[in-house]
Parts: sequence; structure tokens; C-alpha cells
Amino acid sequence: MDNSIVITTPPHVKSRLTTRSIMLDVLIALAPAAICGIVYFLVDALILEITCVAFAVIAEFVYFFIAKGGFNLRFADSETKELKGKIAALKKAGRPFEDEQAALKAKRAALNKAAAAKMRSVFFSFIKQFDFTSVVTGLILALILPPAVNWYEAAIGSAFAIIIVKMVFGGTGRNIANPAAVGRVFMFISFAITTYTAANFGAVAGDEITSGATYLSGVLAGTYEVDAMSLADLFLGTGLMGCIGETCKLALIVGYIYLAVRKVIKWWQPLLYLAVLGLMAAALNADFAYFLPSILSGGAMFGGIFMFTDYVTSPKGVYAQIVYYALAGILTAVLRHFTHIEVVSFVIVLMNLIVPLLDMWIRRRPFGYKREKKNEEAKK
Amino acid sequence: MKAVKGKFFFGGVHVPDMKALAKDAPIEELPEPAKVTIAMSQSLGKPAIPCVNVGDKVAKGQLIAQANGAISSNVFASISGTVTDIVMLTNESGTEGQFVVIEGDGEGRVEYLPPISDPTAEQIVQRVKDAGIVGLGGAGFPTAVKLQPRTPVDTFIINGSECEPYLTCDYRVMLEKTDEVVRGARYIAKALGVTRIMIGIETNKPDCIEAFEKYDDVQVVALRKLYPMGGEKQLIYSATGRKVGLGKLPADVGVVVNNVATCLAVCEAIELGKPDLDSILTVSGRSIERTANVLVPVGTPFSYIIEKCGGEKDAPKKVVLGGPMTGIAVKDYDYFVKKTTSGILLLSDKEAAAEEPTPCLNCGLCADHCPMHLMPMNTAFYSSAGDIDSAVKLGGVMYCIECGICEYVCPAKRPLIQAIRKTKAAVRARKSQGGK
Repeated sequence: MDNSIVITTPPHVKSRLTTRSIMLDVLIALAPAAICGIVYFLVDALILEITCVAFAVIAEFVYFFIAKGGFNLRFADSETKELKGKIAALKKAGRPFEDEQAALKAKRAALNKAAAAKMRSVFFSFIKQFDFTSVVTGLILALILPPAVNWYEAAIGSAFAIIIVKMVFGGTGRNIANPAAVGRVFMFISFAITTYTAANFGAVAGDEITSGATYLSGVLAGTYEVDAMSLADLFLGTGLMGCIGETCKLALIVGYIYLAVRKVIKWWQPLLYLAVLGLMAAALNADFAYFLPSILSGGAMFGGIFMFTDYVTSPKGVYAQIVYYALAGILTAVLRHFTHIEVVSFVIVLMNLIVPLLDMWIRRRPFGYKREKKNEEAKK
Repeated sequence: MKAVKGKFFFGGVHVPDMKALAKDAPIEELPEPAKVTIAMSQSLGKPAIPCVNVGDKVAKGQLIAQANGAISSNVFASISGTVTDIVMLTNESGTEGQFVVIEGDGEGRVEYLPPISDPTAEQIVQRVKDAGIVGLGGAGFPTAVKLQPRTPVDTFIINGSECEPYLTCDYRVMLEKTDEVVRGARYIAKALGVTRIMIGIETNKPDCIEAFEKYDDVQVVALRKLYPMGGEKQLIYSATGRKVGLGKLPADVGVVVNNVATCLAVCEAIELGKPDLDSILTVSGRSIERTANVLVPVGTPFSYIIEKCGGEKDAPKKVVLGGPMTGIAVKDYDYFVKKTTSGILLLSDKEAAAEEPTPCLNCGLCADHCPMHLMPMNTAFYSSAGDIDSAVKLGGVMYCIECGICEYVCPAKRPLIQAIRKTKAAVRARKSQGGK
């Protein structure tokens, strides 16, 4: 027997699933939408996607590096500074204490070496714990931006999303709101990102809407009729103005099917959200013609598939999840109807904030729970 | 009787069953070891009290320790020889316990109880008690206590699901000793006064289902291949649709469950008078030279079994007593077979992944797969913050059967079972201190 035998609590076998594999699945599911965005909006979309992902990862790394004390030894160590001063003084005096000088130099070199080793170890521990969550956040943020956004605005939004919304709250698994949604809201308020450009492809069936407002905001404000665009154009995103990843619904549905088949999300979650949203929109306008357009326009489908279903910021129990998606659908429809702007990212943030309450209030009943309670009442 | 399908319940998970490793190895009786070290703590309750002295000559089947209290069991000499020592040793679970060491003399003296033909219900219960039979599914609850339920019982279920991966000893018993198992089940049914005998078998053992369909008085329930189908509460629900509540016994819903190995032991105790003195166990895993199902006397050192199975193929990463989902990991082979031991697994580096935990993603997989419909992530979260009340309230931890599914499915590899056990221990400690 050797000492390589490990003792732990059971179970001794584990499934192959890891955080990384889940995040890679999400990235694969996002790929069709990202590629469609590039096809529709060309180089604008490509620049934004690269910027957002790069700045998200860089922001996470910088935060991690500082939090783990990667800078401490090299720049803040008083001992190093003192040594530096002493060596300079000796040099200035020109005194022939060669060996003393050499000893001090060696000491300083050792300190520098330790600092470099520390930095390297922090770097490797970052690589070791890196789980692609910031890549997912960055890519989602890029996909919910209009292609006309400047790259530096996207970079700031992405860094904000990672540092303020995610890392400050404790990193992966501890953020209370969806970082990408908050990043988008932050940019919406700070930079007034409301200028959209139309997709590269011309409309197939309906009219191309090329003036300042998107189709959805036009409908909400009452400037367009619901049937200003054909459903086919809405579905494919052709001739439509919108965000990079939200225009082509076909790509989103491909991503949804992938996530559902891989069981990353539960298949009914986006459907419940979209169905409630469509029905509520139809009810508010007292016209069933609003059902499909309200699902197919704006960020509803993207949000429902990729953002509401974010593990960290959605409820844990099944019943709480049903309430969460239904409430989100109702809230989206109501806010859209009365504020006349696209609200999905605001609704995501608002709903994220009530998740802890849902988790507290809607509790799951253990197997065999009901029977026991009945017996207790009978005894009383 | 033709098999019926088991009832569906939410939760559970498909674990790769790895039974092919040892499935086709017939039960082989290993030659008697030269020395056995028999633990006095063979069941759930208090350890038995030794009734032999150092230097006594004992025969195989002779009583060496008396049961101490209701949920304790008699212990018997498993080989013929001389008692050389009564010592305190460390159990595999880390606690200290008393052990009787018997050095074999190779004379093969056997002293069984007298066989009973056509026993009455009282005789069966008395014999099961005398023979020291305990539930061989793992917990080690004395069978005699189960046979005297306080509430009326109408169904007896044989647990043949063997949902733990790797283990195949019950599978072999069901195939090779089908008739003995059914006879044992009939004795138990007679003792309980019930007429309905059911056997739950997972659908990954179609040959067993076929074997038991021949008997007209045994209703075969074909269970979905799902871990933890062999959990008592899950099995009862799947077979009869009844739910056993918190702190309740299966008898409270009119059901008694026993393992196939227990049925076999009951049959042998009545027809041959043989007390519970040996154990059938699976030797498996990727790091063992030869996988096998072996029949060994209680008290056999594991090192002896490993040696007889050709030794290690390569250095194992983990050595597990019992199944991989609920078994105990040990650091070497200096432990001894108990009545309840169901296997020893030498898991290789590839099989027993010991990965660093990463932050909880809140993905909810643990709750989705929990067979008791609990929220393990809440338990882990609140217990790490020291908030035991919330851990109990929001995690439902006291219902936990510690099947290990939550930790198995966790993509972040969180130590959930550890958190659950910690919380349970804290609640019990508070209760014993007279708190609420």
C-alpha cells in the first residue's frame, strides 16, 4: 500500500459534468446567434463581440490579480524600496564596500524573484479556476447591443458588468443580478444606446423599416401597425433593425434546441415565459394579432432562452421557477405596453432581485411530507 | 407471476452501473482464512457482549457474543478454532470497537442450530432472532425486529433492485439461489401473516426478473433502472404507491422490506439451522486483478480476499467498502468482513475522480435529481454560514437519506454530503442538549 489512497465522504464516483462543460455548452448554443449577427451586421458586430468578450476576460483577470495580491510584493513591499535606497546611497558614496553591495543586491534579487513567482502563481491559479463564465457574459452582452454602439462604450459596459456586478459580489455563483443585463441597462442609461441600423439583408416579404426607431418601439409608440412587418421577416430578422444577436430568431431556436437537448436548461422555461408574454400582450391590446409579433420582436426570445435561464440568478425550486417565468412574462408585457420602450433587460434585472424572496417563500415539499403533516393535525 | 412496471417518481439519476465487471463471476466459496477477527458491532444498535474467554475452543456456528438490547444481534464463530484474543480495534467508520480473534485449527467442527421443518410464525421469529440475522442491505437493522411490526402489515417486499453501481452479489444470489430466496421470503411472509409477496428488480437484470416470474405467489415489480431505486422509501413507493413519512417505519404504511440476501439467510437459518456467519460480497473495480463474487466467513481480513483475487492490478486511488455511492472509503485493507459487508471496490484513478470543488453555480441539478425532493444547495449554503435553522428549514435536511446523488451530479463538485452530515450532527447535538 502506498500513500496515494484518498479518503473522502461518499459518493466515490462523480458525473463528468463540470462548470466548464456547462459554460462551453452555453457558448456553443450562442454560436449560431453570434454568427448570424456577424452575417447581418458585418464588421460592426464582429468588433463588438470581440471587444466585449476580451474586456470581460481582462476585467475578470485584473480583478482576480488584484484581489489575490498579485501586485503586493513587487510594488508595495517597503523592504524592497529600502534596499534600493541603500544600494543607491552606497553607489553615490563610491565607497569600495563591494561585498556589502553585492550582498544587498543578492537580497533584492531574491525578493524580486519571489515577487515574480507570486505573480506567476496568481496567474496560473487564475487559469486553473477560469470557467468561461466571463466569456459567456461578454458574448451575451455583445449580442444584446445594437450594432451602432462604439467599441469603447461596449468595453466599458463589459468591464462594468464583470467587475461591479459579478466580481464585487464574490465572483461566479454569487452575483445577485445577471451581469450582462445590468451591463446593458448601464450602457442604455449612460450612453443612450438607441441608434439602430438595419440588417444587411433586405426584407423578404414586408417593408424595410429604416427610420430611427425599431419595429418594436414603433409598434409600442403607435407609429407602426402590428402588421408593418411580415412574420417571416420578423422570424428571420431580414430587413429588421435590432440588436446583434436578437434579430435572427431561427439561430436562437437552434441554440434553444441545443440547450434543451443537452439539458443545460429545462425545455419548458423559455416556452413558459414567451407564452405568458404573448398572451399578456394580446390581452392588453385586446387583439390576438399581437401574440406572435410580441414574442418575435425585441429581446424577448433572446432573453427568455439565454438570460432568464441563467442559473445563478434564477430560483432554485421548480415551483418558484414557474412563478418566476410567468411573472417575468407578465411584467415584460405590462411594462412594454405602458412605457412604450423595449424593457426585457430591465425586467431581467428586476426579476433577478426578487429571486431570493421567491426562494424563501416557495418551499419544496420533501418526499413523504404531506402524510406526516396530516397525522400531526389528526393528533391535535 | 408476470412482472408489472414500477411506479414513476421524480428524482433519481442514471449512474453508469459498471456491473459488467463482476456480473458473470459465479459466487465462489474462498478457502477458510487462518484467522478471523469478528467485530462485536454487527448491527445498528449496541455492540454484542462477548460470552467466550481467551483460550476457549469454539466450533463454527457457536455463539460467541450475546445481543445487547433490542436492536442488537447475536454474533457467531465463523470458523472452528481457538479464541486467541479479545481486543479493541478501529472500525472502518473510524470508531473503536471490540473484536474477538479466532485462530483456525482446520478441524472443521460445526455446531449449527437444529433445523426446523414446517415452522410456526413464532418459531420463525425466534429462529431469526437466535440466528442473529440482520438486514444485509447495508444498515444492519435486526430482521427479528422487522418481523414483529406494531402496526398491521399486508405486503412483504423483497429488495432485489441492487441499484448501487459495481455491486453484483445480490444479482448472483438471485440467479443462483432463486429457490432459497423465495422459500426464505415465504417464511418471512408467514411470520408477518401476509399473503402478498413482491420483489422489486431493476430492468437492467432481465434474467433475474425471468427467474422470479416462475413463482406464482411472488409478484415481480420491474423497476426503472435508476439510482436510488433500492432505497426503502423509493422502493415502497415504486412497488405499492405508498409514501413513508419522516421518522416513520415502512411498517407504518403496512409494508416490510428485506434484502434478497436476508431472505437467503432466513431460509438457511430455518432449513439448515445455520446462523448468520458468512457474507457474500463483490470484489470489483478497475484496480483489482480479478473481479469476483465471493462467500467468506465474517471476520475475514480484506487483505486475504484481495490476495485470493490476484492482488492489485495497479495502485488504487480509492478503496471503498460497500457501494461507490454510499460506501466507506478506507486507507488500507486492515479491516474485517462484517455480516452487512456487500463489497470491496478498488477504484482506479480514472473512476474515482477527486476534483477540487468550484463555486456553486446554483444550477439546481442536485434538487432536480434528489429522490427525497430536497434542496441540498440550500443546506450547504446555510450550514457553511453556520445558520443551522435555515439549513433545516430551506434544505429539508432531516429527510435526507444520504444517497449521494446530489454530490454525484454536482457540476461544481461541491462536498454536499459532508455539509448534510454536518448539519444533521449539529441538529442532533442540539436536541441532545435539550434544545428545541
